[in-house]
Amino acid sequence: MADQVMDAPAALRRPEGDRSGRALATTLACAALLVVTAAISLGWGASDASALGVVLDMVSGGAESVPARDRIIVWDIRLPRVILGILIGASLAVSGAVMQGLFRNPLADPGLVGVSAGASLGAISVIVLGTGALAPFVAPLGIYALPVAAFLGGFVVTMALYRVATRRGQTSVATMLLAGIALGALAMAGTGFLAFIADDRQLRDLTFWNLGSLAGATWTKIAAAGPIIALALLAAPFLARGLNGLSLGESTAHHLGIPVQRLKNVAIVMVAAAVGASVAVSGGIGFVGIVVPHLLRLMIGPDHRYLLPASALLGACLLLVADAVSRTIVAPAELPIGIVTAAVGAPFFLWILLRRRGILDL
Amino acid sequence: MIEARDVSVHIGSKRIVTGADFQAAPGAFVSIVGPNGSGKTTFLRALSGDLGYEGEIRVGGSDMKQMKPWQLAGIRAVLPQAATLAFPFTVREVVKLGLTAGRSGALPGEDERLPERALAKVDLEGFAGRLYQELSGGEQQRVQLARVLCQVWAPVLDGAPRYLILDEPVSSLDIKHQLVIMNIARDFARRGGGAIAILHDLNLAAMYSDRIYVMHRGRIAATGTPAHVLRDDLIARVFECDLKVNVPPPGGVPYLLPQSIGRSAG
Repeated sequence: MADQVMDAPAALRRPEGDRSGRALATTLACAALLVVTAAISLGWGASDASALGVVLDMVSGGAESVPARDRIIVWDIRLPRVILGILIGASLAVSGAVMQGLFRNPLADPGLVGVSAGASLGAISVIVLGTGALAPFVAPLGIYALPVAAFLGGFVVTMALYRVATRRGQTSVATMLLAGIALGALAMAGTGFLAFIADDRQLRDLTFWNLGSLAGATWTKIAAAGPIIALALLAAPFLARGLNGLSLGESTAHHLGIPVQRLKNVAIVMVAAAVGASVAVSGGIGFVGIVVPHLLRLMIGPDHRYLLPASALLGACLLLVADAVSRTIVAPAELPIGIVTAAVGAPFFLWILLRRRGILDL
Repeated sequence: MIEARDVSVHIGSKRIVTGADFQAAPGAFVSIVGPNGSGKTTFLRALSGDLGYEGEIRVGGSDMKQMKPWQLAGIRAVLPQAATLAFPFTVREVVKLGLTAGRSGALPGEDERLPERALAKVDLEGFAGRLYQELSGGEQQRVQLARVLCQVWAPVLDGAPRYLILDEPVSSLDIKHQLVIMNIARDFARRGGGAIAILHDLNLAAMYSDRIYVMHRGRIAATGTPAHVLRDDLIARVFECDLKVNVPPPGGVPYLLPQSIGRSAG
């Protein structure tokens, strides 16, 4: 337009339709938000232990003379919980975003389409049968038995889902959701059977899977799930360009030079590993994978080069906040975090559904 | 050169294309015409590398079966018949996807202006900030063409010719934009690239093509210049329609007037 006022220096302005500046700024803001949330979570809890005091005490070599109890609370209870929250939140949100990119649909979520249920079945098999029928496989794996079994469960469901829902490179939304329900129900049947044959102590462990919780976060759990989740998160950025191309469909992605089959394989393994490891240590925490990427797409657009890292950061923030709510809303008792995320996430999901009803043709 | 020798394509157990020989050289606009179901799109998908085939297809001198997706993407770009988009990208973001073809590194600075140039070329100036999903079908098709143009424009180190493969590029366009798009493809060929297009409008094919391939029941029924191929007997046999081809003075292009069917029937 000739009559447009030339305000900012032309060189600094991004061309119209280029949202990369906003995306970068939002990603940085999410990172800052995560730092703040993590710091608050570390200092906030049922006891009055001061995280700042403990940190200052460590830095000054004991000059602050903080009681040993406070040091244990901050170092062995709160810190593992915050780290686990960050890992799980990032893992679930990125898994959701990758899965949505893979299925080319904003409603795909590991929790909704049975991947988490498959992972739970794998984990519960280890809990119930780990000392019995599965002992020869479980014993050599040590603390990794649970995440590996959960990975296998999630992997089988994701593969089956892709086979059923995708035909000639096109994924049908309705088929995907319905196949997810069927596969989830099948996994639940297996879970139910294992609960039926479980003893009392195992049964108490099982209840935890159905609700999801960060309670009982330990350094051991972080050691078991952390490396797997970290690897999956590090792999995610390499999928970004391919997922962008894939949003135009499989054949167009191929025309753009993307090795589509390899991209799909890596994405499926990545999602199954991240979800499996998360479910293994924290149970089924739902809806993080659908809420976070969707909110971010509204803010910064769907470019996966920004969407994936921003999802990791915002997902971690969201889970820390949800954990804070679950710890305090019924204090001194603690609500399982899965209840909090479902109470917020399910209405959000319905809202997306209403907005997209016309497009989805369901 | 994109070249097919004795290419057959099966979908499931059904043979769709049989023994097709085909050549698209740099500098030429080549069109493929034929009735519905004659195997045009299937053949084009084989040429694009989407479908398995028997026989040989060579792209830029190499056997396509040995080429990686990114190598192919560096030589040819494909405009699909219709492209849906899963997420709300802006028009500029869609066009820019063409720039990433076959490459993994960052883009050189000058590439940043290519999306705007491509959008101006397809008559979509000022659309860069709009959401792709909110455009009309014809506008979306032109955005896709701009994306494809970015892919073939992106600088090549070896200077080898690039090819545009267009599946019914003007099917949902008004008459002005049909001509805009056809001119873009012809200009691209005039400057040393290659263009292959499936066309339904025989008059457009006659006006723009250097060479026409006529497909009929999965085979190449005829090939040659428009004047050589577009003849009464061939149109009657392949399209099963008694349509008179008007022969122009020497040097002009043949043309068909559909209302002549009605006249001859009445």
